[in-house]
Amino acid sequence: MAEVILENICKAYGNNFRAIDQLNLSVEDGEFLILVGPSGCGKSTALRMIAGLEDITSGSLRIGGVDVVDMPPKDRDIAMVFQSYALYPHMTVFENIAFSMRLAGKPKAERKKRVDEIAKTLQLTSLLDSKPANLSGGQRQRVAMGRAMVREPAAFLMDEPLSNLDAKLRVQMRAEITSLQKQLGVTTIYVTHDQIEAMTMGDRVAVLKGGVLQQVDTPKRLYESPVNAFVAGFIGSPSMNLFEATMTGDELMSGTFAIRLQEAAFVRRPGLRSFAGRKVVFGIRPEDLYDSSLESGRKYQTIPAKVTSIEELGSEHIVHLNIDAVRVDSGDPDAVDDFGLASNAVARFEPISAVHSGAEIRLAVDDAKFHFFDPETHLAI
Amino acid sequence: MTRQKRSHHRLKRAVAPYLYLSPSLLIIGLLMLLPMVTVIGYSFQNSAVLRRDPSFAGLKHYHAIFADPEFWASLWHTLYFTCMSVIFHMTIGMVFALMLNSDRINPTLRNILRVLYILPWLFTAVIIAVIWRLLLEPNGVVNSVLMQMGIIGSKVEWFSSTATALHAVTFANIWAGYPLFMVSLLAGLQGIPKDFYEAADIDGAKAYQKLIFITIPQLMPIIISISLLDFIWTMQVFPLIWITTGGGPIYSTEVLSTYTYKLAFSSYNLSQASASAVVILLISLGLTLFYIRYQKAR
Repeated sequence: MAEVILENICKAYGNNFRAIDQLNLSVEDGEFLILVGPSGCGKSTALRMIAGLEDITSGSLRIGGVDVVDMPPKDRDIAMVFQSYALYPHMTVFENIAFSMRLAGKPKAERKKRVDEIAKTLQLTSLLDSKPANLSGGQRQRVAMGRAMVREPAAFLMDEPLSNLDAKLRVQMRAEITSLQKQLGVTTIYVTHDQIEAMTMGDRVAVLKGGVLQQVDTPKRLYESPVNAFVAGFIGSPSMNLFEATMTGDELMSGTFAIRLQEAAFVRRPGLRSFAGRKVVFGIRPEDLYDSSLESGRKYQTIPAKVTSIEELGSEHIVHLNIDAVRVDSGDPDAVDDFGLASNAVARFEPISAVHSGAEIRLAVDDAKFHFFDPETHLAI
Repeated sequence: MTRQKRSHHRLKRAVAPYLYLSPSLLIIGLLMLLPMVTVIGYSFQNSAVLRRDPSFAGLKHYHAIFADPEFWASLWHTLYFTCMSVIFHMTIGMVFALMLNSDRINPTLRNILRVLYILPWLFTAVIIAVIWRLLLEPNGVVNSVLMQMGIIGSKVEWFSSTATALHAVTFANIWAGYPLFMVSLLAGLQGIPKDFYEAADIDGAKAYQKLIFITIPQLMPIIISISLLDFIWTMQVFPLIWITTGGGPIYSTEVLSTYTYKLAFSSYNLSQASASAVVILLISLGLTLFYIRYQKAR
C-alpha cells in the first residue's frame, strides 16, 4: 500500500506568511491526484514538501503508512519529475535513467536490463546513447519519466511536467502520462496550473488557493458542483460567468431583465429561499447560454445582450457579450481580464450561429444550469 | 536596379566587414605582428641590433640554445612552475568557489570570505613579489610562525637556497593567481540549475557524488578553458621571479623568460635571446592553437 496522507500540513515563512495552511489530503494507493490552482497558490510548495525538498513547518505526512516528515528525500520512496526535467546534459539518456541505480551501486548488467525495459515502455530505445540536448521536448519529457520510473517508487510526484511543451505535444503527452500511470498503477500527485490537464488527467482534483485547499473531488463533480465561486470560476474554460442579482420571489432581477427560476432550483437548494429580497451571486457556464434564433435556444428564457466580439474556432463560436448585470470576480489572480470595457459575459454558440459583432441579440439562458453563491462568503448555496 | 548598381552594391557589402576590422587589424599588426616578425628575423642574424649590417646566421643560435644546459634547466623550471601553479590555482580556486557557493556557510561570513579570497587579485606582480620577499625573509613572519609551531627547526632561507627557491616562487605565484579560477568557477557554479541537485537528492546522491557526477562535469568547459589560458600566461611570468630571486640562486629559479631577458640585457647576445624568445613563442603558439581548437569544438 502506498497511499499518501497529509494531515494539517503547514508551511510558514519567517514573517508569518503561510504558503500552505492546514492542508489535509488523502491520496489513495494507485490514485492519480491533481493539485491545481493559480500561480502562487502553494501547489508546488506542497509537492516539494511531500518530496522532502522543503521543510514541513507543522503537520504530519505519511507515505505508505510511514511518517516521513523528518526523512531526507531519498528515503521517502518517491520519484519526482521536474518542470525543467532536470536532465543532466553531460550524461546520455541511458546514464540519466540509470543514475539512481548507479548511485545505489547496482551492478552494470542489472542497470542495463532495467533501463532497457523502461526505454522499451517509453519508446526511447533508439535514443539511449543520445545526450538530452539532441532530443525534442517530448523525448526529454519521456526521459524524465524514465528516470522516475527506474526507481520503482511508492509515489510519483510531478511538477508541471508539460508546461515546457508546445500545445499539440502537450495534448499527446497528457494522454501518454495518463495511460502510463494507469499501466503502472503507481500513486501519482501531479501539479499543474492548467485546468484542462487537471480535468482530463486526474482521478481526483484538489483545488488550492492562497495555500488553502478549496475542494477535492472528481473532475466531473468539481465542474458540476463547485463548492465556491473561486472553484466555479477556475474550473472550466472559458470560465463560468458570475453575476450579481436580486432574488425577488422566484425571479432573479438584474438591471433591465428578470429570469424566472423553476421550482426545481429551490428544491435542490433549500437555502436559496432565504435569499429572497437579497442579493445573490449566480453563475452560468458559457455552454449553457444559447443563440435564441437557433433550434437549441428556443426552449429557454431570453435576456437582452449585445455582441462585442466573436472568436470563430470552427467547432464553435466563443461569443463575448455584454448583458445588463454586474460581473463578480471569482478571485482567480491568473484570470485574464478578457472582459474588456464592453463585454462582461462569454457564451459558446454552435458554429451555425449567425450573430455578428455589434448585434443586439436575445440570449437564451438555461436557468436549470444556474449555480448560486452567497455574495458575502462566495460559498455555494 | 541596373546591373552596374547591383554589382556596386555587392562590392560595398563585400568590403564593409574589412573596413570595420581594419583599425584593430592595423593596431595588432603594428604592435604585435611587426615586433614578432622582427624578433624572428633577429634570431637568424649574427650580432643582431648591435651591428648595422648583420650577416645571416642560419640556425646557429638555435643550435647554441639547445646545446646550453641552462636553457634546458630553464625549460624544466618553467614546466614545473607552470604545472604546479595551474594545478594548485585550479584546486584552491575550486575549494574556495565551493565554499563561497555553499548554503551551509553563513551569508555574512561568505561575504567577508569573498573579499578576503579575492585580495591577491588586487595586487600587481611587483607588490606580490615584495610582500612574499618580506614574508619569506629568514627573519620574516613565515619562518617565525613555522618555528613556533615546531614544523622547522632552524631558519630557512626560502628564496636564497637552491633547494627551496623554486618551490617558494611557485608558492607565491599560486597565491597570486588562484582568484581567476575562483571567480570563474563561482560564476559557473551559480549557473548550475538547482533542479540538478534536487533531482540528485531524491535519487540518493551523497555530497561527494553530487560533486563528481554533477558539479565537476558541469564546470568542465570552464576548467579546461581557464586551465589552458592559465598555462599560457604562467609560462610567460617574468616580474614575480625577476623581483624575488632574479632567476637565482645558481640558476635554480631560472625560467625561460628570465633566461631570455638575461641573454638580451646582461650578455647583450640579442640574436640568441631572439632565438630563445622564438622557442617560447612556438610553445605558447602550440598551446594557443590547442585552446582555439577546444573552443571551436564546443
